Amino acid sequence: MKNIIKINKLHKKYTSGTHALKGIDLEVKKGEFLILLGLSGSGKSTLLRCLNRLIEPTSGEIYFNEMDVVNANSNGLRKIRRQIGMVFQQFNLIKNISVLTNVFTGKLGYVSLAHSLTFKSHKNDLQLAEANLERVGLWEFKEKKVKNLSGGQQQRVAIARALMQNPQLILADEPVASLDPATADSVMRYLGELNKKDDITVICSLHFLSLARKYGTRVIALKDGKIVFDGTPTEIDEIKFKEIYGEDAEEVEIR
Amino acid sequence: MRFSDKFKAFLIDFVIWLYLLGSGLYFADSFGYKIPIIFILPLALIFATILNFGEDSPGMALFGEKKRKWLKSLNGWIIMLVLIMTMAVGWSVVEVDLFKFFTKGANAKGIVSGLFHPNFKIIKICLTALVETIYLALLATVLAIPLAFVLSFLAARNLMPKTFLGNSIYYIVRTIATIFRSIEAIVWAIIFSVWVGIGPFAGMLALMIHSVASLTKLYSEQIENIDSGQIEAIKATGATTLQVWVFAVIPQIISPYLAFTIYRWDINVRMATIVGFVGGGGIGLLLLQQQQLLRWHNVGIIIWLIALVVWIMDMVSGKVREKLQEM
Repeated sequence: MKNIIKINKLHKKYTSGTHALKGIDLEVKKGEFLILLGLSGSGKSTLLRCLNRLIEPTSGEIYFNEMDVVNANSNGLRKIRRQIGMVFQQFNLIKNISVLTNVFTGKLGYVSLAHSLTFKSHKNDLQLAEANLERVGLWEFKEKKVKNLSGGQQQRVAIARALMQNPQLILADEPVASLDPATADSVMRYLGELNKKDDITVICSLHFLSLARKYGTRVIALKDGKIVFDGTPTEIDEIKFKEIYGEDAEEVEIR
Repeated sequence: MRFSDKFKAFLIDFVIWLYLLGSGLYFADSFGYKIPIIFILPLALIFATILNFGEDSPGMALFGEKKRKWLKSLNGWIIMLVLIMTMAVGWSVVEVDLFKFFTKGANAKGIVSGLFHPNFKIIKICLTALVETIYLALLATVLAIPLAFVLSFLAARNLMPKTFLGNSIYYIVRTIATIFRSIEAIVWAIIFSVWVGIGPFAGMLALMIHSVASLTKLYSEQIENIDSGQIEAIKATGATTLQVWVFAVIPQIISPYLAFTIYRWDINVRMATIVGFVGGGGIGLLLLQQQQLLRWHNVGIIIWLIALVVWIMDMVSGKVREKLQEM
């Protein structure tokens, strides 16, 4: 299978002095559902954000579909970013505007400013946005303001926004960490479905091993900015778990 | 303790002693003792040096390592002395005279009776002037909005790129806005009443300049407080910088911007009266004329009308801002 992501010797040092990533080498194959494990501060968020350069890497190479991410100019970066959907822990939707407009914003990387101000009058966009909302079961909420939706609903809108990009890859930064366990599972189910049915590669950071086992096809674990584990979800036993999360950690089962 | 901290501590103590001794000099002077001002320099130097070595002085409390209980230390007493001295000097400089306050009330008889017997015959002239003032304030606010809107983006730390050009623009816009804001509208009115002549146009220009500067500050602070996660999410879709502004920044700032602007109009109506005094036209100018002619009954009606307008503006803008907050 082809690599969708290839990372060589990636380092990130913040101006504050924190060395968040210390030489990451990683290849992600097309179609994988890759779970990132690791404590808060282990570098998961930094790694995800380096992939679409929301954070500028300090050194190293990143390739997305053989395109050079690190050295891409602003136009090249736009073309890379629009193929990579992103889902966040805090949902990061525009709260004061409608659900539908939020879904439209997924198209921004493909259209001009003038076009983006008149999304509603473009029939293709409108149909696509409504179809994506339908898919996450929120079609009837399309005119509502985002801030009136529950957390789980907001995360589903965020998934619809990502789908609007027609992405090959979805980066999910702790997408269920602000949700209750039942809602968390339903959001993960949507991500799992996109991975299987639409063949979208997913890289998702998580804290729950149970969800990792249920949805992940591969797990890597970060500790102090380095990869300390790379394997299948079933390979993580209690010993491995304690290696990743430290001696005092107990696995919390969420069912 | 670092040398630079030591120096700062010493400097603060030196200035405090200079102030204390200078205040002493002021009182000595008012009792007829002429002491050359040059004497306090070495004295302040000596006091500051001694106390600095004792590590118990206001300067050391600010920059030193030792922390002492306020009342148990010399430092506390020095600060107390500074406060007492300040009140004493202030009382004398402001020429506070309680005797006058309680015995000369009869002087204000004219204006007080004017307030109770306002002259309704001139209400037509007053209303014309008042309309002038309200429109002046409105125009100043409306014209300030687009300028402040654009400038606020340039004065927002989180939006300007951390490059030399970005930093330069940020600091230049910030500095100019701060300078223009610290010059009071009344000073601008004096400048413009010479520039374009006495009248409402001068007043409008004065209020507009001041509004641009203060709205730029308020607006840009609003931008700096927005949720960066939303910007991140829109950036991640491949949006251009302009699209990020339109979709992630503007929706977050639009209702606080409106609230600030309405508040600004409210302030401008009040200030329009004041700038009228120095040549800005409107009701302020009328008030000044009538006051100089000592026509207290006319002054009475003008004051009531101003109070009424300010009260209505205050209420309306309060209600609108309340609604905006819910949006």
